Parts: sequence; structure tokens; C-alpha cells
Amino acid sequence: MTFFTVVARGLMRRPVRTGLTIVGIAIGIAAVVALVGISRGFETSWQTGMKSRGTDVVVSNMGRGLTPKPFSAKALEHIAPLPHVAEICALLVDVISVENADMMIVSARQWGGFCWKNLKIVSGRLPKDGAERAVVLGKTAAEVLGKKVGDTLQLETEELPVVGIVEGGAVVEDGSVILSLPLLQEITGDQGKINVIDLRATPGTSKEELTRLCEQINGLVPEARAVVAGEHIRDSQAYRMIRAMSWSTSLLAVVVGVLGVMNTMLMTIFERTQEICVLLAIGWKRSRIARMVLWESALLGFLGGVGGVLIGVVGVKLIVTSPAIRGLLEPDLNPQLLMISVAIAVGVGVFSGIYPAWRSSRFMPSHALHY
Amino acid sequence: MKSPRLLSIAVALTFLLPSRAADSPSPTTANDLASRLSALRQDGSSYVRLRMEINGATKETLQVQIKERRTKSSSEVVYQVLFPKERKGESVLLRKLGNHAATGSLFAPPDTVRPIDDLKAPLLGSDLSYEDAIDNFFAWDQQSIVGAEEVEGVNCQILESKPGKDEHSTYGSVRSWIDVHRLVPLRIEKYDTSRKLLRRIDTTRIVAEGGRHIPSDLKVTGARPDSSTLLDGSRISHNVTYTDHDFTIEGLKQLTPPRKSAD
Repeated sequence: MTFFTVVARGLMRRPVRTGLTIVGIAIGIAAVVALVGISRGFETSWQTGMKSRGTDVVVSNMGRGLTPKPFSAKALEHIAPLPHVAEICALLVDVISVENADMMIVSARQWGGFCWKNLKIVSGRLPKDGAERAVVLGKTAAEVLGKKVGDTLQLETEELPVVGIVEGGAVVEDGSVILSLPLLQEITGDQGKINVIDLRATPGTSKEELTRLCEQINGLVPEARAVVAGEHIRDSQAYRMIRAMSWSTSLLAVVVGVLGVMNTMLMTIFERTQEICVLLAIGWKRSRIARMVLWESALLGFLGGVGGVLIGVVGVKLIVTSPAIRGLLEPDLNPQLLMISVAIAVGVGVFSGIYPAWRSSRFMPSHALHY
Repeated sequence: MKSPRLLSIAVALTFLLPSRAADSPSPTTANDLASRLSALRQDGSSYVRLRMEINGATKETLQVQIKERRTKSSSEVVYQVLFPKERKGESVLLRKLGNHAATGSLFAPPDTVRPIDDLKAPLLGSDLSYEDAIDNFFAWDQQSIVGAEEVEGVNCQILESKPGKDEHSTYGSVRSWIDVHRLVPLRIEKYDTSRKLLRRIDTTRIVAEGGRHIPSDLKVTGARPDSSTLLDGSRISHNVTYTDHDFTIEGLKQLTPPRKSAD
């Protein structure tokens, strides 16, 4: 019988209790995977959206909401002549309830700007010009709204024909209702207002030059903030709050996991006092006893971690297909997050096993006679 | 067995000790609190886009725009249905001058206009009544603080409002659980004269807009058995430019977007 057989047998002695402990850890780790995956996915989705549009710098004012605050379109006049600015495209983006959909990204874009160029037509066409009173739908948005080319879409007070279905190369693009900027400004009463400027730098612009360009823009347009694409979402207080909540909930789940494993391991060693004392009597060192307990708790954590990752991944996949958030984000379930989650579970196991291991290592061989 | 006992005490302390002392609401008189809340309500012109989910015998989702013009002496409110298509254009105009009873008209496309006879009737089929949409009980004569209670972890003052002799209301009293720091009601209960609960409104989300807090999402229950209405407000704007025409029967017939003032 090897050392690890003893470890495995220790856990198999009470399979139901071991199973329930693993399930407890798995649920905690699933919460970590789901919450962190979704909050990071929110950031990644917007970053991918920026990348697909070929945006290098974003000028916006991320306040407390999920969408930036509007500011005057006159800002464009200050930014366009700056060095290293190749193209700019003004947008008015909102996340609102459209028809039966709870939340939908409505993205109005300056006609002729580069933000239209990444859109690949799946069916129909793009608007003929900036004045055409029509919308195109990202393919996910079309599915969520149940629309095809030729249907109409009620957007605020206007009923607009759907002239095309497009693919934008990113979840947020595919989940958007897209129309020309003046049209949305008119139907929302936001004439002269935009809330995002996408900026494409001249080829060969270095990262330092981009940073300097952002500083220049920040000096010229105080009502918004220029940041390198992808970083703007981190400025959002709403995003920071989501991230803080996901990590704090995860921490709570981990604490519950620690207590669960510690409870199981303490019960295990008290039930196996006789066995542990016999092992000491036949020459096992105290450190080996402690190691055995730590291995058992680490194994519990590992199994719970793997189970939790599986539950978390499946859960997140189900969540993002729900009608409420479909097309708004893609979860960021990268291998690094999954490995960190398993490592956290193993860490929980080892940490929870420290006290039971210390207790078991203090047993005296003579205690075996008491049982 | 000293160590397990110490451990359990440590664990218990971790969970029982609060991270900081709970905030206590600033002391204030009922009239002061009510007049501050009333002033926030009677604050000029505003616009709200509302998603109204009515969960009754059948589930119905409406997209609605609300135009409001409120001053200390008068209130005018227009509700217009934008979606679904079959109800698009259905509109309600409500008016209240001073202490007079509210009046209102309904418009149903293409050209049906009729006055609102019963202010207790449901607003657009929801669990709110017409009266709920126009009345401002914070402006009633009788205001008193009848206690304090925590709602969703927030210490609230319970403000009881009763209509005076000259005020017209179908309610006998209204109790509001007020978060006095943010000056928003987190819960409102409306009773008839025999203290029977007629309607309960819970605030489920608050947004900060223009330096103040506004309840944007509400849940209305109690008006009908097994029915509730979820109200999800967005695009909330103040200082919107309206003309008198917007608050007439002719104005009701047109679905026009808000005209926001230049900042």
C-alpha cells in the first residue's frame, strides 16, 4: 500500500461526505468562474468590438452607467487636425430596451466613417446614405428581435425599415442595432451630441505617440477622455463595480469552501484517530501524517475545482444565450482563468487542511488504546 | 478541545462584527422631508422612456414615452405607447391644477378620444392607476414620520401622507419608506380610508442623474390579485423643451421625440 493509496482511501471511507464537500467546493469555484468570466467578458467584448472596427483610441466619458455620457460633436473639429490622426468616426451609442428585447446596443455611426467598414453584409444592404431612414441589424440582434430584411423596427418614436443584416466580427457588433448618426440624434432629440469618438492612428504610430495623442486630446476636449482602445471600459464606474462585486462574491464562495473542507477534514481525522495513532506506532513520522491530511484536503480541493470549472463553463454558456443578455457580451473563459480557479480550489484545500493536519500530527500512539 | 472552541469564536466574530457602524438617517421633520421630496417631483419638464412589463393573466410588454411638465401649481403628464405595434399611439393625458381633482383624456388611434372618468382605473392596463401617475402625495397637507425601518439594507424614515380636506384623492393615506440621504422612496404603500392596502410600489433600481438620485426601476403590486407591473425607466432627462401643444389632445395624437435643451 503506497502513501497515495492511504490518502485516497481516507477520502473514500465516507464517499457521501467527500462527495458533498466536493460539490460544495465545486459550487464556489463555479461562482468564481462565472462571475469573473462574465465581468472580464464585458471588457473583452468591448475590446474585440474596438479591434474589429480598427480603432486605436477611444474618446468618451464613461460615467456611472454602462454607456458613456453624451458631449458636443464639436469635439471632432479639435481632434481631426491633430498629428497621427488618420481617421475619426463619431458615434452615439446607447443600451436600451428595443421592442420585446430587454437590452439592446443601439449604435449610431457617422456616415462614411471607418466604423461602417468592418460590417460584412449577410443579407440585404447597408443604408444608401446618412439620410436614409433605415437600420441594419447585427446577426445576433436580428435573431433576438426576430427580424429579417424588409421588416420594420420600432426605435423610440420611429418605425424604421430593416434594410440589412450584418456581421461585425465581434459579439457587441453582432448584437447591435446600427444606423446613421443624424437619424438617431433626431429621434432621440440629441441633435449635435455624440458619446464616443473612435480614432484610427496613422500607420506606424508608436504606443508612446498614441499616449501623447491621448494627452493632447484630453487637453482639447475636457468633457471626454481619450484612452487607448479597450482601456476605456475600465474607466467605467459601472464596470469597476461589476468587477468588485464579482471578486467579492467569489471571495465569499471561497471562504465557504474553506470552512466546508476544514469541517470535513476535522471530522475525518477525529474518526480516524485510531488509524492515525497506529500509523504513528508503526513508525510514520508526524510530518508524514500531516502531509497525508494535507494531500487529502488538496485532493478534495482539486476535484472540487475541476468540477467547479466544468459547472461554471456550462453555466456561463447557458447564461449568455438567455434573451436578456444575448448579443451583449461574450464571456472570457480563457485557460488562465480556468487554471487559476483550479489553483484557488487546491489552495482552499491545502489552507483548510493546515489545522486538521496540525491536530492529527499531535496525536500520541497511545491514543489508539482508547478506541 | 480549546482550539476548536477558539476557532468557532473567531469564525463567529468574523461574520457578526459589522465592518462599520450603520449610517443613521439625518434627523428631519416630516414637513421638511415631504417638501423636499415634493420639490424634486415638481421640478419642471422631464422625459422618460419606460419599459412596462405587465404580468397578469397574460404577460404584456409595452414601450412607453413619458413627457412631464410639473410646477408647484400644476402638473401635466403624457404617456404614449411606442410598442407593440397594435397599441402604438395609444396615449394618456393627465392634468392637475392646484388642489383640484385630476382630469384626463385617452386617445386611441386612429381618432378615438374620450375623457377619463375613473382615476382609479389602470393606466395602460398596468397595476398603476391614472391617479398614481399624476398625483403628488408629498404635497399633501398632513405629513408625519411614523417610524423608521431598514429596506434592502438602507435605514429609511417612514413618512405617512394624508390628503387634507381640500385635496382630492382616492387614497386615505400613503406610507413611504424614504432613504433620507439620497432623498428617494424605496417603498410606497397606498391605503384606502379603512387602512386596507391597495397598492405597493418597490424601488428596484436608482440612478444618479444631474447630481440627484432617481428611482428608475419600480415594481408595482397589490392592485389586482396575481398581478404585478415592472417599470424600467431609461433615457431620463430633465429640462426638456415642450410646447403647450404637447399637452393637448392634438399633441397626444402625435408621437414626437423630446427636444432636449442644449447643455
